[in-house]
Amino acid sequence: MRIRRRLTLSLGIAAAICVFAAATQADETCNSPYMSGLIKGQEDFVHVWTLGVPGMGDGSDKLVTVDANPASKNYGKVIDKVSVGGRGEAHHMGFTDDRKYLWAGGLDDSKIYVFDVGTNPAHPKLVKTIGSLTAKTGYVGPHTFYALPGRMLVGSLSNSADKGGTTGMAVYNNKGEFVAKYDLPTSTIGHVKGDGYGYDIAVNPAKNALLTSSFTGWNNYMRDLGELIKDPEAMKHFGNTMVMWNLKTMQPQQILAVPGAPLEIRWALPAGHDWAITATALTSQLWLIKRDAQGHWAAKDVAAIGDPAKVPLPVDISITADAKGLWVNTFMDGTTHYFDISDPEHPKETYSKHTGAQVNMVSQSWDGKRVYLTSSLLSKWDKKGKDNEQFLRAFHWNGHELTPAFEIDFAKEQLGRPHHMKFSANPTRMASLVSASLR
Amino acid sequence: MLLMPRAVLVLLGLVGIAGGAAATDDPGKATAPRTEFVPPAPGSYTLQRIQRVRDAVLLDSTGRTVKLSALTQGKITLLTFFYTYCVDPLGCPFAHTTLAALRDRVRHDHTLNGRVRFVSVSLDPTHDDPAAIASYAREFTIDPKFEWRFVTARRVTDLLPVLDDFGQDVSVELDENGHATRTVHHMLKMFLIDAHGEVREIYTLSFIQPRMMFNDIKTLALEAG
Repeated sequence: MRIRRRLTLSLGIAAAICVFAAATQADETCNSPYMSGLIKGQEDFVHVWTLGVPGMGDGSDKLVTVDANPASKNYGKVIDKVSVGGRGEAHHMGFTDDRKYLWAGGLDDSKIYVFDVGTNPAHPKLVKTIGSLTAKTGYVGPHTFYALPGRMLVGSLSNSADKGGTTGMAVYNNKGEFVAKYDLPTSTIGHVKGDGYGYDIAVNPAKNALLTSSFTGWNNYMRDLGELIKDPEAMKHFGNTMVMWNLKTMQPQQILAVPGAPLEIRWALPAGHDWAITATALTSQLWLIKRDAQGHWAAKDVAAIGDPAKVPLPVDISITADAKGLWVNTFMDGTTHYFDISDPEHPKETYSKHTGAQVNMVSQSWDGKRVYLTSSLLSKWDKKGKDNEQFLRAFHWNGHELTPAFEIDFAKEQLGRPHHMKFSANPTRMASLVSASLR
Repeated sequence: MLLMPRAVLVLLGLVGIAGGAAATDDPGKATAPRTEFVPPAPGSYTLQRIQRVRDAVLLDSTGRTVKLSALTQGKITLLTFFYTYCVDPLGCPFAHTTLAALRDRVRHDHTLNGRVRFVSVSLDPTHDDPAAIASYAREFTIDPKFEWRFVTARRVTDLLPVLDDFGQDVSVELDENGHATRTVHHMLKMFLIDAHGEVREIYTLSFIQPRMMFNDIKTLALEAG
């Protein structure tokens, strides 16, 4: 009775309003377009999925939360860390469609950790650990976590049979229950043979299109980089393809030849665009994946990133909300590049800055005014000695120059190797149905 | 396109002033979904088995109790959540307009005759009592041969397990004094459920593409034989 009466009192007065958490047309950095709760203003927190380092703190992988709001007294400080109690090569993460949970994966132990970031984003809580991926699918190394309505599409890097690059995608529902698996194709489609390798996943809902890229298997990504590059046989085992899937049927439609390990994929999601872009790690090129007049997708290299002869190793990319600009980090030379891609057929580098001895992930705010960088690529691929800097660096971007905002030394703070970043915001003044009914 | 109501803008402004360091957690501009592809033919694909629907007890528009399983089994079901007083053009009205068009298409397909139902569950049991949903439903239940059920709950606590099971998030915006307003946030979702009570597809705004939804219904009908 109390609930009923209070709800009547509280909800029965003003004009009715119903606000939907809408699907969005672009991303803050690289979120699924099915995700709600886009942060268009100032983010409050940056969550950093961090690899544990033996002898550093507790040595475990952990979700580190940093206060990123300049109006906060804790601005630029670590305000929370949630250790998962083990070291499994923390790498990437992704929000569920309602942005309440953050799924984070381990490339070595193949575990998936689910953090509640909706209840109190300043202090995430580990609420579930999913250890069934390999048993259910044969896949190893959950990499990309891509929200679909009520589900998470998980792209992997390897397999348990030979620890090579042949792999696939798994679907879990938001409760963490396994739903389905889809192998990356090894057959020939359209005169291109699939290599079965996986890396990133990106969906364009309006085109019913799902695009995947390809990297390498456990045997390579868990091997010391110095040794790896001296092993010609091992260096043959990198992905050279991208696959365009029919999202509804989850069937591969086209295999595109994109040599040199195409990694992160970014769709131009604003209306009127028919393309996605990626960067190849080994050949240091930007590739455009575009649909022609006949409706077929074609891939072509459209720009060099740095000097490909020096193998700068492009890693993460981040497209602006209007799909006119692209940040690209090159790991080996520690450089952050900005490309004008308003003509995606002819990207032009308009800015670059040396941002660290090694630099990997790049995430930007929706308005593009803030850019965050982290240093770690993989535990076995990071540089050694004094070049093994481990940082989160935040910058302001005025369209012409990156200027430092704050920096956290993850080694000095005994945290580990910082990798993937996701933003959170303090909830605006909201209440659940129950708590609203009790007010 | 979602037009942020003035009251909300005012409220958000107040929150911004009062909150100081509060972030702008923007729900994002809603846009009607674009369908720039030819949907795959019915039966040419298999829909995922996403989850089973947990049973619950709700209230129908006559005030009688009804088991949720009676509304999610035996027929192919498209279920959504709504409020009778929702006015967002890309919210409940958009959902129900889309469903009404789908209903008309289903009615004219003899292979689907008697095999499809729609269910609309109110998210505000306090305001949306059986009389309110009965009144709201009149516009949509014009064909007695097509089963479109509007249901509510006796109390909020009866509804919460249903919301939790479907993963339907709902929150109520508060004013600066901490009082609930009538600004309700939720992600528009529709759930396609097979005749055995398993969720086989979930449509959020980007996925609410009527031609595709019709083909999904046909696909489930073909699967059942």
